[in-house]
Amino acid sequence: MSPFWLSYLPLAIILSSLLPGLIIFTLKEHQVKLRIALNLLGVTVKLVLVLIMWQAVKAGAIFYFRVPFLPGADLILQGDALSLLFVVLSSVLWLATTIYAIGYLENSPLRSRFFGYFSLCVSATVGLALSGNLVSFLLFYELLTLATFPLVVHRGTPEALAAGRRYLAYTLSGGLLLLTGVALLHSLVQSPQFIPGGYVSAVVREHSGLLQLAFGLMIAGLGVKAALLPLHGWLPQAMVAPAPVSALLHAVAVVKAGAFGIIRLVYDVFGVDSMQQLQLAEPLMLLAATTILYGSWRALAQQDIKKRLAYSTISQVSYITVGVAMLGPLAAVGGLVHLVHQGVMKITLFFCAGNYAETLGVHKIRELNGAGRRMPLTSAAFTLGALGMIGIPPTAGFISKWYLGLGAVATDNSMMLLVFVFSGLLNAAYFLPIVYRLWFLPQRSSWPKEQRLSATLETHWMLLLPMLFTALLIILMGLFASTGVSPLSWTQLIVEREFSYD
Amino acid sequence: MIDLSGWLWPGAGLGLVTELQQVWWYFSLGLWLVAAAFSVSFMAKTPHGGRYWLFFTLSFAGNMLLIIALDAISFYIGFSVMSLSAYGLVVHSGDKSARRAGRLYLQLAIVGELLLFAALILRASAADGQYDWHSWQQVPLDHLTILLTISGLGLKAGFWPLHIWLPQAHPAAPAPASAVLSGAMIKAGVLGLVLFLPAGDPQLQRWVPYMICLGFFSAGFGVLVSLLYRQPKVILAYSSVSQVGYILILVALAWTDNAAAVLPVLMAYAAHHAVAKGALFLFAGINPKQRLPAYWQLLFWLPALALMAIPLSGGAAIKTGLKSLLSTTTMSGWLDSGMLAGLLSLGAWLTAVLFFHLAAMLRQQQQRLGPRTGQPGFALYWQAASVMLLLLVLILLPWQWQPLLQLSLTTLAWPTIWTLCWPLLLALLLVVLVRWRQWQLPAHYYDRNSGVLLWSLWLKRLYQPQQQWQAAQWQLSWRPVERALNRLAPDNVVGPSALLIIVLLVAASAFW
Repeated sequence: MSPFWLSYLPLAIILSSLLPGLIIFTLKEHQVKLRIALNLLGVTVKLVLVLIMWQAVKAGAIFYFRVPFLPGADLILQGDALSLLFVVLSSVLWLATTIYAIGYLENSPLRSRFFGYFSLCVSATVGLALSGNLVSFLLFYELLTLATFPLVVHRGTPEALAAGRRYLAYTLSGGLLLLTGVALLHSLVQSPQFIPGGYVSAVVREHSGLLQLAFGLMIAGLGVKAALLPLHGWLPQAMVAPAPVSALLHAVAVVKAGAFGIIRLVYDVFGVDSMQQLQLAEPLMLLAATTILYGSWRALAQQDIKKRLAYSTISQVSYITVGVAMLGPLAAVGGLVHLVHQGVMKITLFFCAGNYAETLGVHKIRELNGAGRRMPLTSAAFTLGALGMIGIPPTAGFISKWYLGLGAVATDNSMMLLVFVFSGLLNAAYFLPIVYRLWFLPQRSSWPKEQRLSATLETHWMLLLPMLFTALLIILMGLFASTGVSPLSWTQLIVEREFSYD
Repeated sequence: MIDLSGWLWPGAGLGLVTELQQVWWYFSLGLWLVAAAFSVSFMAKTPHGGRYWLFFTLSFAGNMLLIIALDAISFYIGFSVMSLSAYGLVVHSGDKSARRAGRLYLQLAIVGELLLFAALILRASAADGQYDWHSWQQVPLDHLTILLTISGLGLKAGFWPLHIWLPQAHPAAPAPASAVLSGAMIKAGVLGLVLFLPAGDPQLQRWVPYMICLGFFSAGFGVLVSLLYRQPKVILAYSSVSQVGYILILVALAWTDNAAAVLPVLMAYAAHHAVAKGALFLFAGINPKQRLPAYWQLLFWLPALALMAIPLSGGAAIKTGLKSLLSTTTMSGWLDSGMLAGLLSLGAWLTAVLFFHLAAMLRQQQQRLGPRTGQPGFALYWQAASVMLLLLVLILLPWQWQPLLQLSLTTLAWPTIWTLCWPLLLALLLVVLVRWRQWQLPAHYYDRNSGVLLWSLWLKRLYQPQQQWQAAQWQLSWRPVERALNRLAPDNVVGPSALLIIVLLVAASAFW
């Protein structure tokens, strides 16, 4: 690959969604076809570029792009294996969500604004994945906050505005903490490029206290988006957003941005050795384990479908953090692969919730009785997603739990195995009653607000197709986990590169 | 054998490699197919037929997959698919008892699943990332893994005290489903216990005497409790609890170094019980439909007598085999061979009592149907033919199948016949005596609802709470603060603000 592409491909990937997004802002509301065309063009171009990059990174190429930004901290974009994991996830799920959103928002107002911010949001996510040092990461992290806020408040209802305010309050203060942490770290060691094994080991001895403080600040900042325990309050409220937004928020953009930041921080800024010397991993792991159990426990009592899914996200995302914080290769594979698996499973579940809401007007769990007969494909997809969340083989969720479990035993954290088992029980306890209602209980009364969106299918094909695609992925990723194209094999590649730095 | 390790995970493969797998495969497949044939007519006019067949096929596939699995993960996939889709069979009828039985079943299935998951993780870690049975045989066990495996798989196998779902779920399911639940799916747990725990492991040896005791207790417990129930399918379910007790004894013996001698008996016992219990459950489905001609009772008595181990039956051969195995094993302490032989005779007597009790209950069920209203229709003949198919296997098995034939021939000697017969005669005597004197327990002892249902309900309330502790909504409102500050400030704000800034600047420059 030519040096030109090695340098500009990361930029092109970001621009492939940024430019269409900016053009969409200028479009009139009725220019539906042009808007859809622009959206799909952006997605296709991005996917092609990502595919090229994926092949190159697999072969060992390193992408690197730099512009001067701050003294001592350039704006760096780099494409390594870890960033590719997140880029591929967000690009593929962006495709699914775009199609879903086009179907979901058909004939609703303010679509130009929506799709414009939608594209900005994905650009920020991809930029965050590709950023090569902490400062560029911080930049895209804040951009992401700003780009998602209009999506959360899109409906403009009082609850949406309240949720948006709360979201902004949480994420902006989180961003502030992160900024402080980054600045503190910058004053100690500057902000060089992310590197496997980290770059703080030189100053661990003299500045251990400050390093711990910086780590704590940054984890607090990232923990807001990753919904770690005391900082999770915005997530269940933000589910008032339209279904495609919730899907994107929970599966790819915001929550994952936090989790991805934690991965970068642990492996590429501090590094495993420094983490061990500074004794930072244990508290992080315990916090994440508490979040897993707390989120599942709170999900039990939620009667709103999307709210239950939101608490489930809080719990599931912390699996990633736990996997990372256990500091072992197997656990890292489990955590990293869960980044992808959780995304695909959760997006399926949110698509299903959106389908129920859009087609039947159902928002509460108790109204779902007998929905399996009316919407068999949606219900089958929901069942698959729910089984995946519990970790029943051969779904994708089993693979991540399996590696997390192996990692827990390998790093002598048998307590974590107990946490996984117990959380699996709780997951079953809040997901299986829904599945039971879908398939085994008779319909109670007529649906709250039924719409015939299609003559032959159970609902609009644009709502159905993305959901079936991701549901199929759940099975394929679980069954063919060992083949070369699976997320699992890719994470094994990442972990190989991350853990073989010395 | 099909090697899938290139496609799936290291060591993945399917195939019937060992004799254990072959035997399990054939009897499970046969039972499932007969149950399917039975269902074709039995479930013909019931609602939700499509759903029934979906779950039937899924659990069939899962059961077959776990038998031909050559590695632990394939086994686990088959096991989960089978366990979870069997839920659809248990709740099929949709009435109240089926739903609560289903709830209990699912709760315990999930618990079992996760226990097994933990055991698999520990085992796979110990085996250093290898998943095939062959590698696992070489890896030593530890007590936690053994405990997790036994409880995870035991919840499916259903011996005491892990049997609690069994007497609820089997009667609730439609007859062909209970036949496969009891005949094939319970055996899946047993198969797992043999495959997961390598024979001859030193840690495992310490579990053997306890498991034998547990098996005997389960065998006795199942029978005694069954006498308190009057529904035929509940009695049959408790009979399964009791029979699994014997199978558990054989499994425990198969964990010793003597595995080669034990496995044929274990396979024979499992296959024999699967066929006989399947036939009995199917007959229990036919019995309440219509007043049947008297000779149809043969469909009940043939498998019942086989399980009671009457001479010439397969049961006799197996019981004799078990006895000779127990007489050659040396257990420490009070569990000597005399004790074991005594317990076996007691067990045979109890089994006979159970089946006489069952026969009486089946007859009562028939009598409640009123006088005969005509010949059985084609559907009933079809169903009876399915049962006959199983019975044919049952009769031919001890004389056609090589491992059993050896044992059958040894039962033909007079002393053996006598040891087999006297418990039966004693049981008959007791039953006649009880009938004659009309001894009975007070009515409220019979057909009690099991306490585990309450436990299951309690658990459900626990995980479906109506309300939960809420974090206090902590609202910070700046508006009142701002107002208070405004009130404090004088009308002219500019002057004091400027002064404040100057003071701050001076202070800052002083400190610089």
